[in-house]
Amino acid sequence: MTDHTGNNGWSRRRLLKASAAGTAGLGALALNGKAPFHFVRNAWAEEAIGNFPVKGKSVVFGFNVPQTGAYADEGADELRAYKLAVKHLNEGGGMLETLKPSSLSGQGVLGKKVDYVEGDTQTDPDAARTSARRMVERDGVIMYGGGSSSAVAIAQQYLAQEMGIVFMCGLTHSNDTTGKDKRRYGFRHFFNAYMSGKALGPILANEYGKDRRAFHLTADYTWGHTQYQSIKDFTEQQGWSTVDNIMTPLGTTDYSQFLTAVLNSDADVLVLNHYGKDMNNSLTQAVQFGMRDMQKNGKDMQVVVPLYSRLMAQGAGASNIDGVYGTTNWNWVLQDAGSQAFVKSFEAEYGFPPSQAAQTCYAQTLLYANACEVAGTFYPPEVIKALEGFEFEGMGPGKALYRAEDHQCFKDILVVQGKGPDKKSGEYDLLDIVSHVKRDDIIYPVDTFAGELGPYKPA
Amino acid sequence: MTINSVFLQLLTGLQLGAIYALIALGLTLIFGTLGVVNFAHGALYMLAAYCAVIIAGKMGFLAAIVLVPIMLFVVGIALERGLIRYFYNRPHVDQILVTFGLAIVVEEVVKWIFGANNIPFKLPAWGNGVAFLHEYIPFLEGFVVFPKWRLILVAVSLLTVFALFALLQFTRFGLIVRAGMREPEMLRFLGVDITKRFAIVFGLGALIAGIAGVFGGPITQVSPGVGMNLLVPSFLVVVIGGMGSLAGALIAALMLGMALAFTAEIASLQQIIIYLIAVVVLLGRPRGLLGKKGVME
Repeated sequence: MTDHTGNNGWSRRRLLKASAAGTAGLGALALNGKAPFHFVRNAWAEEAIGNFPVKGKSVVFGFNVPQTGAYADEGADELRAYKLAVKHLNEGGGMLETLKPSSLSGQGVLGKKVDYVEGDTQTDPDAARTSARRMVERDGVIMYGGGSSSAVAIAQQYLAQEMGIVFMCGLTHSNDTTGKDKRRYGFRHFFNAYMSGKALGPILANEYGKDRRAFHLTADYTWGHTQYQSIKDFTEQQGWSTVDNIMTPLGTTDYSQFLTAVLNSDADVLVLNHYGKDMNNSLTQAVQFGMRDMQKNGKDMQVVVPLYSRLMAQGAGASNIDGVYGTTNWNWVLQDAGSQAFVKSFEAEYGFPPSQAAQTCYAQTLLYANACEVAGTFYPPEVIKALEGFEFEGMGPGKALYRAEDHQCFKDILVVQGKGPDKKSGEYDLLDIVSHVKRDDIIYPVDTFAGELGPYKPA
Repeated sequence: MTINSVFLQLLTGLQLGAIYALIALGLTLIFGTLGVVNFAHGALYMLAAYCAVIIAGKMGFLAAIVLVPIMLFVVGIALERGLIRYFYNRPHVDQILVTFGLAIVVEEVVKWIFGANNIPFKLPAWGNGVAFLHEYIPFLEGFVVFPKWRLILVAVSLLTVFALFALLQFTRFGLIVRAGMREPEMLRFLGVDITKRFAIVFGLGALIAGIAGVFGGPITQVSPGVGMNLLVPSFLVVVIGGMGSLAGALIAALMLGMALAFTAEIASLQQIIIYLIAVVVLLGRPRGLLGKKGVME
């Protein structure tokens, strides 16, 4: 017997089949009162949130990094780290061997192969949101991550909360990310400006004296603002005074008008709250203005860059960073097992050592995957609970804690000093570790910053 | 404000204006003579800075000063012959789209070859350090310093401006080009090969971007986005000065430089001041300060 198909593509036979199936489905629903989910573990609690439940044999992560704009260097390195993390999750290796406690198998996550999509934030909050939304809606990502720029991270964190997709922050150093703008669906492994200030303040006072007068040049967005505030507070606690602060637009290429203002003041320390190319330009130009060779108030003038990275140091050049103090989340020369496992696999893959941006993105991806294994599901509220209060080691020096109340990770950080051309032993050996600051010395009470995490289930 | 700080701010404004002028000069020359809005001019600056940092690293800074402008001249001619000449008779929008597209392509190619990271551009030993201005200028009190390199940049900018003026005003080549700007048809009737001259003018515009790249590179640093960053203020300079007017561009560059220098400590004003000036000037005089009647009006 043949089916006679009409013009509309539906035969009498197909119509009968479809309506029979439909009636059976409706009947099942009528009996249970809900769709039959009883073959899924923990199903009684799990409804669809964001892109949960995950269908198919693979699970997709989204990596949204700045591939253009002022922080493009960090973005490129973050992407390298993400790809490596996916490789290790699927095939084993790297920090999978050192993370403790770990539920990761090296054979995907919860039996599914990890896949990824990438996007460009353009170092711009609006572009980042558009790109993230596309990843969520078109590519079906269960989690997304990335940075740099705190404005971008915060914008994505709010979007994550709206859409019910966990956001694992990349490089973001503003206090606001886990302070006034903290979100239940956002987690930050990177340190923040407050910790930088707390670690750096005493060392600066010890090195340069307690009666210093500081002039700040600050990148004009959330990160710059909070870093200025933190460095100001912690240096003033040491007896320093703050002469002035000028907010400079992100992406400025010529800082001469601001540096002239510094020259015109009686400040004897210049603090550059700049990152990436901004710092490359402002530091190079400050050196050209003679600020590292002159005397003010009878003291040698000093330049401080509170947030440092090896990539930035490379861009600014060894002669400019020689002796300049700052802080960093992590450095590739660290000798603990976790750091070394990561550095070795990264070098084997790409031929050069990773930056701190790469390390935090790599760690974040593994931490998320591990939380899924611990929770036994991709269901976001359960994954979030598994990350909250998670204490671990083997991803860098010392023990680390993901504090439940603000989703900020607390761990050891580094105070560093730039190495001059005659001190460095290779192209990537640019930062000298001055002090290894312990987690307990930089931790702060939750109520230091206002803000609410929000609900486990998106409204 | 003390006399020292006013003087330093004036000097800062002058040298900021000098960089804008150097880039705007090439832009306005090309527009004034060829009628082409060249959004790829920033990319030419960026190319020059990359060439300069590489040549300076291998053969010394003096070699870069000689070679880079010549290289950019050749690039300019090739660009005019290969692409721009097909757009002379097309609307400005087409010219903007094709040159902007070209700028993006060049930027991405450079990023692909050299990476997105900044390449440190060291000053040559003879241009390094600061000048002690209080030793030369009697009315300054105490200790006043300014980077030597920025003073050199001002001098180079002035020299380039004078050389260009002289070329256009006092040579036969300049005469023909100026005549070609007014009546290209008539010149062709008289048997003058105006097309060849136009190619050279575009090459000259690129050459000036070359000079700007060599001397501006150690200040703006060398990264793929540097050209785009400078293009916007330089384009404003051209518009405020009057499209195609060299003298207008100079005055506008100086105005913007001074405005930026004197608002440095008022962040809210600093970030909008150059656009504010553009709005005020264009409201009062839509063709720009010294713009010709009927051009872009």
